[in-house]
Amino acid sequence: MGRLTRGSWIELGIFLLIVAVFYGFSFQFNQTIEIYIFGATAWPRVVIVLLLIATLGNLWFQYKNGSASQGTMGQSNDEPVDLSVPGTLPRMVAVLLTPFIFAYLLKPVGIYFSAPFFIAAIIWLFGEHRWKPIAIMTFVIYVIFIGLFLVILNAPLPQGNTSPFYDFSAWILTLNAKLQGL
Amino acid sequence: MIENFLAGSAALFGDPVTIGIFVFGVIGGMLFGAIPGVSMLTLAAILLPFSAALEPAQGVMLFAVIYCTGTYGGAITAILFNIPGSPENAPTSFDGYPMTQNGQSGKAVGAAVLCSAIGGIASALIMMAATEPLAQWAIKNIGPPEIFALVFFGLIVAASVGARTIWKGWMSVLIGLLIATIGQDPVGGINRYNFGMPDLAAGIAFVPAILGFFAVSEIFVQAEKKASGKYKAPKVSMTFPSFLELWMHKLAVFRSILVGFFCGILPGIGATLAAFMSYGEAVRWSKKKEEFGKGKLEGVISAETANNAATGAAMIPLLALGLPGGALTAMMVAVFQMHDLQPGPLVFMLSPDLIWIVFAAMFYANLSILIIGVLETKTILNLLKIPFQFLAPLILMLATVGAYISRGLVLDVMVMFLAGIMGYLLRRSGFSIPGIVLGLILGKIGEQNFAQGMQMVHYDMGEYFSRPICTVLIIAGVITLISSIYRAFATSNKPV
Repeated sequence: MGRLTRGSWIELGIFLLIVAVFYGFSFQFNQTIEIYIFGATAWPRVVIVLLLIATLGNLWFQYKNGSASQGTMGQSNDEPVDLSVPGTLPRMVAVLLTPFIFAYLLKPVGIYFSAPFFIAAIIWLFGEHRWKPIAIMTFVIYVIFIGLFLVILNAPLPQGNTSPFYDFSAWILTLNAKLQGL
Repeated sequence: MIENFLAGSAALFGDPVTIGIFVFGVIGGMLFGAIPGVSMLTLAAILLPFSAALEPAQGVMLFAVIYCTGTYGGAITAILFNIPGSPENAPTSFDGYPMTQNGQSGKAVGAAVLCSAIGGIASALIMMAATEPLAQWAIKNIGPPEIFALVFFGLIVAASVGARTIWKGWMSVLIGLLIATIGQDPVGGINRYNFGMPDLAAGIAFVPAILGFFAVSEIFVQAEKKASGKYKAPKVSMTFPSFLELWMHKLAVFRSILVGFFCGILPGIGATLAAFMSYGEAVRWSKKKEEFGKGKLEGVISAETANNAATGAAMIPLLALGLPGGALTAMMVAVFQMHDLQPGPLVFMLSPDLIWIVFAAMFYANLSILIIGVLETKTILNLLKIPFQFLAPLILMLATVGAYISRGLVLDVMVMFLAGIMGYLLRRSGFSIPGIVLGLILGKIGEQNFAQGMQMVHYDMGEYFSRPICTVLIIAGVITLISSIYRAFATSNKPV
């Protein structure tokens, strides 16, 4: 199998899946446009075909050269993912999932209530396990966030739509209005 | 021109409120550009509703000033954290971040300050002298075929930037183009790839995507380094580049001003492509190509001069034709409309005062980058001293607000984190994040202009070659493509 690795096959599988999904879904909007003979599907399908060619070219390159690189401009210094150190994989899964849970909770819980928990969780996941620095830095970051976006800029942020979280956001907003004498 | 400029300056500095707004724009643009996780677009989106309460000249001037200083500010985060403040700063990180890792952060930021100011001032002067004639020229010579040809050329250049192999560079750009097809098609308004989610009909918003691909993915990369014990704190350096070092790059500065101004003048293209093309030209003309991407000062100089040179040029299609060149200039159109004004040829006749206040403000904003930029840089460099476990949640919180604020959709926050995970995995597999982002930005512009161009020439591609600018750009693109294909099939030269 030349110099292909398991990673090469995973990469190939993911890109072929993307090509297949996008090509399959392109039939959903395969309609003619009166003023444009190529219609809505031509551009995406050309991109899909080119992506398929590039994916196969990439496979061919890896078959011949393995993970070698070519001299491209401004090449990134990023190394391949290294999950060999024990404990790295579960921690990375937690780091990748925590923001999603936070984003998912923004609608029902709101940002004012969920932010401190999110901040503390990220500090903990980044390796700070002493509770005092976590508490102090969570407070400092929360104050900076509230000060900048609520007090100074009055930015409209998600307040949540379930009780008691919505009430908490309302209390913060009322407090801010009172502080500003509005 | 000088009389008008002096009149604009007098109007700008003759009113304390206008001065206050100018100073706020200068400092706000720099800060929001330089704080990782938010950008000048975040500030502009927050300020947009408030601009209705300002005088028309004050409102437009505020956004123009934020555009100038924010474009510079984004270089700081690109250099110090590998998180470009906006896409136009992406090529700055190619050499800026390696310089930080090599303990030369001060030198990189110092070059960015000076070159942003030079590029911006040169562009402002050309803009003042030539907006009206250039607009007339652009009306006659630039149409959808030319814009499509430039997008074609730009995408081919982007495919050879930042990825581990040429193949992965193309895959990156094509993934960006594919993401750009989500949402309504630009000709018939038909919904594409909304996967049953009505919010996706408006497409993938550009701000959350860029925050995810650049800022969030960088946080994840650093998290992995922390978890595997490979994290190294960046080295802080306050050594600025010497005059001699900068003088040695005078040709690169001059070339970047030309590239930046040319790209900026084209509607819809803006500073992002300018920075990429200028970086590409710097590599092409260099005798030491292999040093690019490893911390070469010329890389920072080329990208930063060009993106600021594009800011003044971007005002030309905006003010003369009413066509915005990017997200921030699109918000400026909204400011005009809030005050019942329409940017276009008539604005020069109906509101000359407004135009010259904006021109003068942009000139002084670029000048102030030199003064305030140096002071700000010294402060921002201290951010590197904050342990990353405390900086990461702050960046993520700011990015969350930055993603949410422009459309008020939680979906955009989800998109940002998804783009962050994608960016993290793709970066670690040798794909190019700037390539994906450029594909995403130029995808819709390219498709729209291709469709309009084809309608214009009655579907005869041969007609494209009867237009000189179009012909030059397509030939340049094809030559780059052929050389890229040759390199793609040549044997590898750098084993990992």
